[in-house]
Amino acid sequence: MKQRYFSTFELILLAFLAVLIVVAKIALRTPLQMPGHSGIFWMAIIIVAAGVVRKPGATSLVGLTSGILAAFMGMGDSGALNTLLSYAMVGIGADLALLLLRNPENLAVDVLVGVFGHIGKFLVKWAMGAMSGAPLGFVALGEARAIVGYIVFGALGGLLGGVTLQALRRAGFFAYLMEKR
Amino acid sequence: MTQRTRIVIALALLLAIVLAVFAVDWLRQQNAARAQATLPPGAVPIYLDSKLRGGFQPTDLERLQKVSFTEPAEGKVQEGWLVRDVLQLYIDIGKLKPASSITVSSSSRGKSAELTWAEVGNPANWVMFDLSNRGTLKLVSTLEKLDEREEWVQDADRIEVQRQ
Repeated sequence: MKQRYFSTFELILLAFLAVLIVVAKIALRTPLQMPGHSGIFWMAIIIVAAGVVRKPGATSLVGLTSGILAAFMGMGDSGALNTLLSYAMVGIGADLALLLLRNPENLAVDVLVGVFGHIGKFLVKWAMGAMSGAPLGFVALGEARAIVGYIVFGALGGLLGGVTLQALRRAGFFAYLMEKR
Repeated sequence: MTQRTRIVIALALLLAIVLAVFAVDWLRQQNAARAQATLPPGAVPIYLDSKLRGGFQPTDLERLQKVSFTEPAEGKVQEGWLVRDVLQLYIDIGKLKPASSITVSSSSRGKSAELTWAEVGNPANWVMFDLSNRGTLKLVSTLEKLDEREEWVQDADRIEVQRQ
Protein backbone atom coordinates (compact mmCIF):
# COMPACT_ATOMS: atom_id res chain seq x y z
CA MET A 1 0.00 0.00 0.00
CA LYS A 2 1.30 3.42 -0.94
CA GLN A 3 2.47 5.44 2.07
CA ARG A 4 0.73 8.78 2.44
CA TYR A 5 2.86 11.93 2.64
CA PHE A 6 1.22 13.16 5.85
CA SER A 7 0.01 10.68 8.46
CA THR A 8 -3.50 11.05 9.86
CA PHE A 9 -2.00 12.19 13.15
CA GLU A 10 0.03 14.89 11.38
CA LEU A 11 -3.01 16.04 9.42
CA ILE A 12 -5.00 16.36 12.65
CA LEU A 13 -2.20 18.40 14.22
CA LEU A 14 -1.97 20.71 11.19
CA ALA A 15 -5.75 21.14 11.01
CA PHE A 16 -5.78 22.02 14.71
CA LEU A 17 -3.10 24.66 14.15
CA ALA A 18 -5.01 26.05 11.14
CA VAL A 19 -8.11 26.47 13.31
CA LEU A 20 -5.95 28.09 15.98
CA ILE A 21 -4.85 30.73 13.45
CA VAL A 22 -8.45 31.65 12.65
CA VAL A 23 -9.43 31.67 16.34
CA ALA A 24 -6.40 33.84 17.18
CA LYS A 25 -7.34 36.27 14.42
CA ILE A 26 -10.89 36.56 15.75
CA ALA A 27 -10.32 36.45 19.49
CA LEU A 28 -6.93 38.02 20.16
CA ARG A 29 -6.83 41.79 19.91
CA THR A 30 -3.82 43.97 20.49
CA PRO A 31 -4.23 47.70 21.11
CA LEU A 32 -1.60 48.43 18.44
CA GLN A 33 -2.84 50.61 15.60
CA MET A 34 -0.12 49.29 13.31
CA PRO A 35 -0.27 47.34 10.06
CA GLY A 36 0.38 43.62 10.38
CA HIS A 37 0.30 43.46 14.19
CA SER A 38 -1.70 40.22 14.16
CA GLY A 39 1.39 38.54 12.63
CA ILE A 40 2.72 38.06 16.17
CA PHE A 41 0.07 35.39 16.73
CA TRP A 42 -0.21 33.61 13.45
CA MET A 43 3.46 33.50 12.51
CA ALA A 44 4.11 31.93 15.92
CA ILE A 45 1.54 29.23 15.09
CA ILE A 46 3.04 28.69 11.63
CA ILE A 47 6.52 28.21 13.13
CA VAL A 48 5.12 25.71 15.62
CA ALA A 49 3.50 23.86 12.69
CA ALA A 50 6.86 23.80 10.86
CA GLY A 51 8.59 22.39 13.95
CA VAL A 52 5.94 19.85 14.85
CA VAL A 53 5.53 18.41 11.33
CA ARG A 54 8.91 18.62 9.67
CA LYS A 55 7.90 18.03 6.08
CA PRO A 56 7.88 20.48 3.17
CA GLY A 57 4.29 21.55 2.56
CA ALA A 58 3.20 21.38 6.21
CA THR A 59 2.95 25.14 6.70
CA SER A 60 1.39 25.58 3.23
CA LEU A 61 -1.31 23.13 4.26
CA VAL A 62 -1.92 25.08 7.50
CA GLY A 63 -2.10 28.34 5.53
CA LEU A 64 -4.46 26.92 2.92
CA THR A 65 -6.75 25.31 5.52
CA SER A 66 -6.93 28.46 7.62
CA GLY A 67 -7.53 30.46 4.43
CA ILE A 68 -10.48 28.28 3.45
CA LEU A 69 -11.93 28.54 6.96
CA ALA A 70 -11.44 32.32 7.09
CA ALA A 71 -12.92 32.81 3.60
CA PHE A 72 -16.05 30.82 4.51
CA MET A 73 -16.38 32.81 7.74
CA GLY A 74 -16.35 36.05 5.77
CA MET A 75 -13.21 37.37 7.41
CA GLY A 76 -11.21 40.23 5.92
CA ASP A 77 -12.56 43.29 4.18
CA SER A 78 -11.34 42.64 0.65
CA GLY A 79 -13.37 39.61 -0.38
CA ALA A 80 -13.05 35.85 -0.02
CA LEU A 81 -10.36 35.40 -2.71
CA ASN A 82 -8.10 37.98 -1.07
CA THR A 83 -8.59 36.32 2.32
CA LEU A 84 -7.95 32.81 0.97
CA LEU A 85 -4.81 33.83 -0.93
CA SER A 86 -3.33 35.94 1.86
CA TYR A 87 -3.78 33.22 4.49
CA ALA A 88 -2.46 30.55 2.12
CA MET A 89 0.52 32.72 1.18
CA VAL A 90 1.57 32.97 4.84
CA GLY A 91 2.08 29.21 4.82
CA ILE A 92 3.59 29.04 1.33
CA GLY A 93 6.03 31.89 2.11
CA ALA A 94 7.11 30.12 5.30
CA ASP A 95 7.53 26.84 3.40
CA LEU A 96 9.68 28.46 0.71
CA ALA A 97 11.84 30.12 3.37
CA LEU A 98 12.21 26.78 5.16
CA LEU A 99 13.39 25.13 1.93
CA LEU A 100 16.31 27.55 1.98
CA LEU A 101 16.89 27.93 5.72
CA ARG A 102 15.93 24.40 6.81
CA ASN A 103 16.24 24.09 10.60
CA PRO A 104 13.12 25.50 12.32
CA GLU A 105 14.66 25.12 15.78
CA ASN A 106 17.22 27.83 15.16
CA LEU A 107 15.81 31.13 16.48
CA ALA A 108 17.43 33.21 13.71
CA VAL A 109 15.84 30.91 11.13
CA ASP A 110 12.46 31.22 12.88
CA VAL A 111 12.65 35.01 12.77
CA LEU A 112 13.42 34.96 9.04
CA VAL A 113 10.74 32.36 8.26
CA GLY A 114 8.28 34.51 10.20
CA VAL A 115 9.26 37.55 8.15
CA PHE A 116 8.98 35.69 4.81
CA GLY A 117 5.60 34.17 5.66
CA HIS A 118 4.20 37.49 6.77
CA ILE A 119 5.66 39.46 3.87
CA GLY A 120 3.95 36.89 1.60
CA LYS A 121 0.61 38.02 3.04
CA PHE A 122 1.57 41.64 2.47
CA LEU A 123 2.52 40.89 -1.15
CA VAL A 124 -0.88 39.29 -1.83
CA LYS A 125 -2.73 42.30 -0.43
CA TRP A 126 -0.44 44.74 -2.22
CA ALA A 127 -0.64 42.89 -5.57
CA MET A 128 -4.44 42.50 -5.39
CA GLY A 129 -4.70 46.22 -4.60
CA ALA A 130 -2.43 47.18 -7.50
CA MET A 131 -4.27 44.88 -9.94
CA SER A 132 -7.68 46.23 -8.93
CA GLY A 133 -6.44 49.80 -9.44
CA ALA A 134 -6.62 50.74 -5.74
CA PRO A 135 -5.39 54.28 -5.11
CA LEU A 136 -1.83 54.83 -3.98
CA GLY A 137 -1.22 55.49 -0.31
CA PHE A 138 -2.75 58.79 0.79
CA VAL A 139 -0.05 59.66 3.28
CA ALA A 140 3.63 59.69 2.40
CA LEU A 141 5.39 56.44 3.31
CA GLY A 142 2.08 54.68 3.95
CA GLU A 143 3.33 51.62 2.07
CA ALA A 144 6.73 51.76 3.79
CA ARG A 145 5.00 51.82 7.18
CA ALA A 146 2.99 48.76 6.17
CA ILE A 147 6.09 46.85 4.99
CA VAL A 148 8.01 47.68 8.17
CA GLY A 149 4.99 46.61 10.26
CA TYR A 150 4.72 43.28 8.45
CA ILE A 151 8.45 42.61 8.76
CA VAL A 152 8.67 43.54 12.45
CA PHE A 153 5.55 41.64 13.54
CA GLY A 154 6.45 38.66 11.33
CA ALA A 155 9.87 38.56 13.00
CA LEU A 156 8.36 38.83 16.48
CA GLY A 157 5.87 36.07 15.64
CA GLY A 158 8.71 33.90 14.32
CA LEU A 159 10.69 34.46 17.51
CA LEU A 160 7.66 33.64 19.67
CA GLY A 161 7.10 30.46 17.63
CA GLY A 162 10.77 29.47 17.99
CA VAL A 163 10.69 29.97 21.75
CA THR A 164 7.46 27.94 21.91
CA LEU A 165 9.12 25.10 19.97
CA GLN A 166 12.04 25.08 22.42
CA ALA A 167 9.61 25.00 25.35
CA LEU A 168 7.72 22.11 23.72
CA ARG A 169 10.99 20.18 23.31
CA ARG A 170 11.90 20.75 26.96
CA ALA A 171 8.43 19.60 28.00
CA GLY A 172 8.96 16.32 26.12
CA PHE A 173 6.32 16.99 23.45
CA PHE A 174 8.54 15.78 20.61
CA ALA A 175 9.29 12.51 22.38
CA TYR A 176 5.51 12.07 22.74
CA LEU A 177 5.07 12.81 19.02
CA MET A 178 7.67 10.16 18.08
CA GLU A 179 5.65 7.57 19.97
CA LYS A 180 2.45 8.62 18.18
CA ARG A 181 4.05 8.39 14.75
CA MET B 1 26.18 25.74 2.04
CA THR B 2 26.54 26.95 5.62
CA GLN B 3 23.62 28.24 7.71
CA ARG B 4 25.18 31.70 7.71
CA THR B 5 25.22 31.76 3.88
CA ARG B 6 21.58 30.68 3.76
CA ILE B 7 20.60 33.48 6.14
CA VAL B 8 22.50 36.05 4.06
CA ILE B 9 20.73 34.80 0.89
CA ALA B 10 17.37 35.06 2.67
CA LEU B 11 18.10 38.63 3.79
CA ALA B 12 19.14 39.57 0.23
CA LEU B 13 15.90 38.07 -1.11
CA LEU B 14 13.89 40.06 1.45
CA LEU B 15 15.63 43.28 0.43
CA ALA B 16 14.95 42.50 -3.24
CA ILE B 17 11.22 41.99 -2.51
CA VAL B 18 10.96 45.29 -0.60
CA LEU B 19 12.82 47.18 -3.34
CA ALA B 20 10.59 45.63 -6.03
CA VAL B 21 7.46 46.79 -4.15
CA PHE B 22 8.82 50.34 -3.90
CA ALA B 23 9.88 50.34 -7.56
CA VAL B 24 6.44 49.24 -8.77
CA ASP B 25 4.75 51.82 -6.51
CA TRP B 26 7.04 54.55 -7.81
CA LEU B 27 6.11 53.63 -11.39
CA ARG B 28 2.39 53.68 -10.49
CA GLN B 29 2.86 57.08 -8.89
CA GLN B 30 4.50 58.45 -12.05
CA ASN B 31 1.64 57.10 -14.19
CA ALA B 32 -0.97 58.55 -11.82
CA ALA B 33 0.75 61.93 -11.89
CA ARG B 34 0.69 61.94 -15.72
CA ALA B 35 -2.96 60.88 -15.86
CA GLN B 36 -4.16 63.45 -13.34
CA ALA B 37 -1.99 66.47 -14.03
CA THR B 38 -4.26 68.90 -12.19
CA LEU B 39 -4.07 67.10 -8.84
CA PRO B 40 -1.05 65.81 -6.92
CA PRO B 41 -0.66 62.01 -7.03
CA GLY B 42 -2.72 60.28 -4.36
CA ALA B 43 -5.04 63.28 -3.88
CA VAL B 44 -8.75 62.51 -3.61
CA PRO B 45 -10.75 64.79 -5.97
CA ILE B 46 -13.69 66.70 -4.49
CA TYR B 47 -16.51 67.65 -6.87
CA LEU B 48 -19.23 70.20 -6.09
CA ASP B 49 -22.24 69.96 -8.42
CA SER B 50 -20.06 67.94 -10.85
CA LYS B 51 -17.29 70.57 -10.95
CA LEU B 52 -13.83 69.78 -9.61
CA ARG B 53 -13.13 71.96 -6.57
CA GLY B 54 -9.81 70.50 -5.52
CA GLY B 55 -8.14 67.41 -4.16
CA PHE B 56 -7.88 66.29 -0.56
CA GLN B 57 -4.15 65.75 -0.13
CA PRO B 58 -1.69 64.81 2.63
CA THR B 59 -0.66 68.44 3.24
CA ASP B 60 -4.28 69.15 4.27
CA LEU B 61 -3.89 66.87 7.27
CA GLU B 62 -1.82 69.49 9.11
CA ARG B 63 -4.89 71.77 9.08
CA LEU B 64 -7.32 69.10 10.32
CA GLN B 65 -7.96 67.82 13.81
CA LYS B 66 -7.51 64.07 14.28
CA VAL B 67 -10.46 62.32 15.93
CA SER B 68 -11.17 58.73 16.94
CA PHE B 69 -13.92 56.44 18.15
CA THR B 70 -14.16 52.76 19.01
CA GLU B 71 -16.65 50.96 16.84
CA PRO B 72 -18.82 48.55 18.86
CA ALA B 73 -19.04 45.64 16.37
CA GLU B 74 -15.35 44.65 16.40
CA GLY B 75 -13.99 46.90 19.14
CA LYS B 76 -11.68 48.46 16.56
CA VAL B 77 -10.42 52.01 17.07
CA GLN B 78 -11.12 54.17 14.02
CA GLU B 79 -8.81 57.16 13.89
CA GLY B 80 -8.78 59.86 11.25
CA TRP B 81 -10.43 63.03 10.04
CA LEU B 82 -14.10 64.04 9.88
CA VAL B 83 -15.45 64.30 6.32
CA ARG B 84 -17.18 67.51 7.44
CA ASP B 85 -13.78 69.08 8.21
CA VAL B 86 -12.30 67.83 4.92
CA LEU B 87 -15.16 69.37 2.92
CA GLN B 88 -14.76 72.65 4.79
CA LEU B 89 -11.32 73.07 3.24
CA TYR B 90 -12.71 73.14 -0.32
CA ILE B 91 -16.40 74.00 -0.10
CA ASP B 92 -18.44 76.69 1.59
CA ILE B 93 -20.35 74.30 3.83
CA GLY B 94 -22.65 77.11 4.95
CA LYS B 95 -24.36 76.84 1.55
CA LEU B 96 -25.15 73.15 1.93
CA LYS B 97 -28.71 72.14 2.81
CA PRO B 98 -29.51 69.29 5.22
CA ALA B 99 -30.65 67.23 2.21
CA SER B 100 -27.55 67.96 0.11
CA SER B 101 -25.93 64.67 -0.88
CA ILE B 102 -22.33 63.66 -0.31
CA THR B 103 -21.13 60.54 -2.11
CA VAL B 104 -17.83 58.94 -1.26
CA SER B 105 -16.75 56.24 -3.70
CA SER B 106 -13.96 53.79 -4.43
CA SER B 107 -13.37 52.93 -8.08
CA SER B 108 -11.15 49.95 -7.28
CA ARG B 109 -13.68 48.39 -4.88
CA GLY B 110 -16.77 49.42 -6.88
CA LYS B 111 -18.28 50.71 -3.63
CA SER B 112 -19.87 54.00 -2.68
CA ALA B 113 -21.85 55.53 0.17
CA GLU B 114 -24.37 58.30 -0.29
CA LEU B 115 -24.98 60.46 2.77
CA THR B 116 -26.82 63.69 3.43
CA TRP B 117 -25.18 66.82 4.79
CA ALA B 118 -27.39 66.43 7.88
CA GLU B 119 -25.61 63.12 8.55
CA VAL B 120 -22.09 64.21 7.59
CA GLY B 121 -22.32 67.60 9.32
CA ASN B 122 -23.28 66.09 12.67
CA PRO B 123 -20.03 65.19 14.50
CA ALA B 124 -21.93 62.74 16.72
CA ASN B 125 -22.23 60.45 13.66
CA TRP B 126 -18.42 60.20 13.31
CA VAL B 127 -18.54 60.24 9.50
CA MET B 128 -14.80 60.16 8.97
CA PHE B 129 -11.86 58.91 6.96
CA ASP B 130 -9.74 56.36 8.78
CA LEU B 131 -6.30 55.57 7.41
CA SER B 132 -6.07 51.97 6.21
CA ASN B 133 -2.99 49.82 6.74
CA ARG B 134 -1.84 50.62 3.21
CA GLY B 135 -2.21 54.33 3.83
CA THR B 136 -5.40 54.78 1.79
CA LEU B 137 -8.61 56.40 3.04
CA LYS B 138 -11.50 54.36 4.41
CA LEU B 139 -14.93 55.91 5.05
CA VAL B 140 -16.39 54.76 8.37
CA SER B 141 -19.10 56.02 10.71
CA THR B 142 -21.36 55.05 13.59
CA LEU B 143 -24.36 55.50 11.28
CA GLU B 144 -26.26 52.26 10.79
CA LYS B 145 -25.52 52.18 7.06
CA LEU B 146 -21.76 52.53 7.62
CA ASP B 147 -21.02 50.81 10.91
CA GLU B 148 -19.97 47.40 9.61
CA ARG B 149 -16.90 46.30 7.71
CA GLU B 150 -18.90 45.35 4.60
CA GLU B 151 -20.43 48.82 4.54
CA TRP B 152 -17.21 50.83 4.88
CA VAL B 153 -15.83 52.38 1.70
CA GLN B 154 -12.20 51.29 1.58
CA ASP B 155 -9.67 52.87 -0.82
CA ALA B 156 -11.91 55.94 -1.26
CA ASP B 157 -10.81 57.95 -4.30
CA ARG B 158 -13.65 60.40 -5.06
CA ILE B 159 -15.94 62.74 -3.12
CA GLU B 160 -18.99 64.24 -4.83
CA VAL B 161 -21.21 66.89 -3.28
CA GLN B 162 -24.59 67.79 -4.80
CA ARG B 163 -26.19 70.89 -3.25
CA GLN B 164 -29.58 70.26 -5.03
